[in-house]
Amino acid sequence: MTLGSSGAGSSVVVPRNFRLLEELERGEKGIGDGTVSYGMDDADDIYMRSWTGTIIGPHNTVHEGRIYQLKLFCDKDYPEKPPSVRFHSRINMTCVNHETGMVDPRKFGLLANWQRDYTMENILTQLKKEMAASQNRKLVQPPEGTFF
Amino acid sequence: MGGGDADAGGEPAAAQATLHIRCTNGSKFAVRADLGATVGTFKAIVADSCDVPAPQQRLIYKGRILKDEQTLASYGVETDHTIHMVRGAAPPPASTAPAANQEPTTAAPASSPAAGLGGLLQNLGATGAAANSGGLGLFGSGLPELDHMQQQLAENPNLMREIMNMPLMQNLMNSPELIRSIIMNNPQMRELIDRNPDLAHVLNDPSIMRQTFEAVRNPELMREMMRNTDRAMSNIESSPEGFNMLRRMYETVQEPFLNATTMGSEGDRNSNPFAALLGNQGSNQARDSAANGTTTASDTTSGAPAPNTNPLPNPWGPNAGSAQGAARSPPATNTRSTTAGGPGGLGSADFGSTLGASGGGSDATFLTQVLQNPTMMQMMQNIMSNPQSMNQLLNMNPNVRNMMESNTQMREMIQNPEFIRQLTSPETLQQLISFQQSLMSQLGQQQTGQERTQSASGAGNVNLNTLMNMFSGLGAGGGLGVPNAPNVPPEELYATQLAQLQEMGFFDTQENIRALAATAGNVHAAVERLLGNMGQ
Repeated sequence: MTLGSSGAGSSVVVPRNFRLLEELERGEKGIGDGTVSYGMDDADDIYMRSWTGTIIGPHNTVHEGRIYQLKLFCDKDYPEKPPSVRFHSRINMTCVNHETGMVDPRKFGLLANWQRDYTMENILTQLKKEMAASQNRKLVQPPEGTFF
Repeated sequence: MGGGDADAGGEPAAAQATLHIRCTNGSKFAVRADLGATVGTFKAIVADSCDVPAPQQRLIYKGRILKDEQTLASYGVETDHTIHMVRGAAPPPASTAPAANQEPTTAAPASSPAAGLGGLLQNLGATGAAANSGGLGLFGSGLPELDHMQQQLAENPNLMREIMNMPLMQNLMNSPELIRSIIMNNPQMRELIDRNPDLAHVLNDPSIMRQTFEAVRNPELMREMMRNTDRAMSNIESSPEGFNMLRRMYETVQEPFLNATTMGSEGDRNSNPFAALLGNQGSNQARDSAANGTTTASDTTSGAPAPNTNPLPNPWGPNAGSAQGAARSPPATNTRSTTAGGPGGLGSADFGSTLGASGGGSDATFLTQVLQNPTMMQMMQNIMSNPQSMNQLLNMNPNVRNMMESNTQMREMIQNPEFIRQLTSPETLQQLISFQQSLMSQLGQQQTGQERTQSASGAGNVNLNTLMNMFSGLGAGGGLGVPNAPNVPPEELYATQLAQLQEMGFFDTQENIRALAATAGNVHAAVERLLGNMGQ
């Protein structure tokens, strides 16, 4: 563990690997509201870079009953820098690129204002909230089961 | 891990693990399962502990959707881990073709999608396209585009809301008498209501009718109604004698209802006034045996009308509604003549089949009868007396809207009730039909000359294809018109417009072509588009 000092006092800075192992365990145990899930793509990847996430479409929106799959890529500088997030399932959303499925960090507040203590679970939960936002909840969606 | 002790043979026992299942509603429960078991087997175990049947379960673990044929261990599932469960739609039942000598079953089990009141709602609702795609509708419609329309409505709930908010629909909703008369005009519906007085009470209760319309307008409400119906159905089914009651309801109410709203057998053609709208599309198996090579003798001789398994005719084909068993000539895909081959004018099949170009005017008399129907006349009167609804109808189609904007005289004429009355008189209709017939006969002769004059036509020369496109657009709300032939190079297709744009000072040919393609050859719109691009 490395200790980092800030103006308000000392706070523990958890190294990348420990932090990702913690997130992996949370994913396995299914901690959270039960509508998002995530885990590692490749159990043999010692750097724990590639992750898969799913979001279950929120109620009373066009996304209800759909399961959206995403790919998250945590580079070496995670959690200092946010992971890159890409939808694998096709979705029509204001913050998602219609060709590639990439979540545009400039249009998605959580990535734009990233903080070290944010997690992948936070990203998925926030994306789910974004789906239920007024600008996205009624957008006509591509057929279910199509991918970028 | 939960590995067991080794048994006498020295092999370890199957790894039993406690797994937590988390549902989307927040509830959580635990099940014990063998990690070597397949996901399909595991779903069956989960189904015992909750009310979601295995085929409807969608399991997610660590961001992955679990596939039935894989084992739990292959996904790295371990004891005390949590698997998320989502209730998905039930997969469609595998359609197995019945043997030739098999008797058709009359009563469907209550769990099947078409059984009982839930299925009835599903079949008649905007989303029930799959349940009966052969032209289902309360008033016996049979348009080939029905599936597409239902899909559009399902994908865009606002569209339904807008339709329901139209003054015309509001008038309809405020006069239950009118709705009742429309429904009662169908003899099969009348017979059904005579047999089931309960249905007559429903039709006589304006509040129920209004609630139904409200549900149609509001998709959330519709979904809630469906959910409640499903729940009620499962409760009835689980009670003693409930299943038989559902079966009786299916036999006495739903089946006749569906028969009344869809095509019956050949003999029913005369008794159902809406049958003629379908042309030859709703035919029974016996009549179509010539076209259906696979039909067996027992199929054709059975008295009950079997469902029509023939593909729907191509609405753009020149003989879409005419030949029944005859082989159709393959369409000439590379020629321009296919464009105007059969203009899908009135939203159903082509002009020819709808207005009787080949049938000697029998459909024309039907059209006249429809227009002289008191209900229809009343509806027409409502539209004509309400300028707002008239404007709304005219503005629905961009072609008509443009025509009206550029021609104020035309607008005044259309809004003149006397003119409309004359337009819909049988004599005028007859003249229009004969004009259409002569147009169709001229079409073949003029087509070859048309191709030559296409590129050299002047700015004011409206060619026949444009005319046909305009006609088809008028009939089908703009969306179902004749598709343009994409084989002609755009330089040739938009030669006149390109010349005009160059005269105006737009010299980038490629940019001009792009703008014209995007605006379907409308020069004014293309200019606006080009100016907009420059401004960016």
